[in-house]
Amino acid sequence: MAVNRLIEKMEQEVILQVRDLQYAYSDEKMALKGVDLDIRQGERIAVMGSNGAGKSTFFLNINGVLQSEHGEIFYRGQKMTKKTMNDLRKNVGIVFQDADSQIIASTVQSEVSFGPMNLKLSRNDVRDRVDEALSYMNLTDFRHRPPHYLSGGEKKRVSIADIIAMHPEIIIFDEPTAALDPVNADMLEEVLEKMAQEGKTIMISTHDVDFAYRWAERVVVFCDGKIIADDAPLAVFSNETVIRQANLKRPMMLDIFETMREKGLVKDDRSYPKNVEEFKYCI
Amino acid sequence: MERIVQILLITAAVLMIIQGFLHRRKHEKDHSHSSFGHKHDGSVFSIDFYAYASRLRTWSPKYKAVFSMVCLLCCIICDNIYVSCAVILLMAYITVVMGGLPFRRYLSLMTIPLVFLFFGCVAIAIGFSGSPSGDFNLHLGFFYVYTSKESLWETLELITKALGAVSSMYMLTLSTPASEIIAVLRGIHMPKLLVELMNMIYRYIFLLMDTQCRMKNAAVSRLGYCDFKTSCVSFGQIASNLLVVSLKKGNAYYHALEARCYDGELRFLEEEKTVSAMQTAGALLSVSLLLCIWRLTV
Ligand SMILES: Nc1ncnc2c1ncn2[C@@H]1O[C@H](COP(=O)(O)OP(=O)(O)O)[C@@H](O)[C@H]1O
Ligand SMILES: [Mg+2]
Repeated sequence: MAVNRLIEKMEQEVILQVRDLQYAYSDEKMALKGVDLDIRQGERIAVMGSNGAGKSTFFLNINGVLQSEHGEIFYRGQKMTKKTMNDLRKNVGIVFQDADSQIIASTVQSEVSFGPMNLKLSRNDVRDRVDEALSYMNLTDFRHRPPHYLSGGEKKRVSIADIIAMHPEIIIFDEPTAALDPVNADMLEEVLEKMAQEGKTIMISTHDVDFAYRWAERVVVFCDGKIIADDAPLAVFSNETVIRQANLKRPMMLDIFETMREKGLVKDDRSYPKNVEEFKYCI
Repeated sequence: MERIVQILLITAAVLMIIQGFLHRRKHEKDHSHSSFGHKHDGSVFSIDFYAYASRLRTWSPKYKAVFSMVCLLCCIICDNIYVSCAVILLMAYITVVMGGLPFRRYLSLMTIPLVFLFFGCVAIAIGFSGSPSGDFNLHLGFFYVYTSKESLWETLELITKALGAVSSMYMLTLSTPASEIIAVLRGIHMPKLLVELMNMIYRYIFLLMDTQCRMKNAAVSRLGYCDFKTSCVSFGQIASNLLVVSLKKGNAYYHALEARCYDGELRFLEEEKTVSAMQTAGALLSVSLLLCIWRLTV
């Protein structure tokens, strides 16, 4: 069944195509060394890889903030040039790792309105989008608060609402759980689930293998500026070479399941469980 | 006539203090403003905090700005001690009773300008001379410090005028968050560059304070502030570090702006707050009251 879904997804329209993208901040060292990737409508992609592997650099490139001489990006089949970079910015939204470096306005409402205002929408449309994004992130009560009186989790929610209000086709989260407590991390996962239900295309960079295993349908592994694996989670996490090369750990669920299978505690023909609920069915 | 105005002003002052006190008691009981924030220290930041907590925040910032400017001008143009006192009382009433700022906090904020005024005015009120002169004098060894009734009265007039002006500005700043004041400035066509800079600086002051605070705590926890010399060294290191961190972060901020289609101009949605008929009536009434006091006592 999983294979069927994958095939279904393969037939979905490709939104973004990246071909041989290279990027260097300075002359000596390349941050991206030739990256190829297709992003299709409605995919949930987890991006993994150690610090400095080039994940954030890649995101900034496909959003059009960083522009590389070498490599091509196609948005819905159209090649992006300097002139059309704003199309990328409109359609690919990034929730930055550090909410504080994303938030610029002095109230939550004006902060969330910043993106829509830049899209040159009418006042009423901006207002509607702000209302919608605030209620989506449960922030309506915080509307007039200044960001410096918000907690870390609340700031994160504001930075997500920022992007939701712009209605991008692809939403990228750069290490969203890095600075969150467990409650806020759960909240975030709920929001992600909700977005996925609505068919949004989501890409998340994370170091949490368990999360990637249970949430993603596709895992992309970066290592030293290159993509070394791009497959379904099970395939990626079963690949010893990739795991070793990218310094990843194996998801707990996978280990437990395989140990139990070795001991004959589950039937072999069952498919791999993604979460605790599915796991309960297996035994 | 002067007597009547004097009595009226004193009664108003007493009533206000009583009401403010009662209000504070009530306020402490329901504790409604502890809903957010915990930063009561540092005067600039507490002003920012009070502005957000004020009940006058729902009022139109333009209205508040115009009203406080008019009152300030009344103080300066009328140049009359009764008008000034009336403005001081009126502004205190608006800020404390209507805005819900604790009276004690208002007083402690007022002491900042008061101290400056006091030292400034001492110089005006007193004089030195070799021989006794003026209405009151004090013999200090080989010279006299003297003052006269007139110069005392003049000083009092000056102090009240300045205090009236300061409290008008306090009324605005203690009830209007900086972002709204900046929006008003944008409305009167202040240069765009200045307005955007103010916006950014306002936001980043808090980030910088936060970073500084964290660095300082980290230094304190490693005994970086144990004596004067170490403190100086640590302070210097934190300051230079802060510069490096800000330069680095500047890049990240710019990326985040660009990612949301920033094209060189910061645009935000600003709410339009309307002015009610009551508020207009209140402002007109207060200003005409001030003018009446002026006519009666000139
Ligand atoms: N602003 C920058 N200036 C110079 N080099 C940078 C900058 N940002 C990242 N790099 C370098 O680019 C490489 C990739 O970094 P990054 O994309 O941030 O990795 P990741 O997000 O996967 O941790 C690293 O070697 C890093 O040192
Ligand atoms: Mg990163």
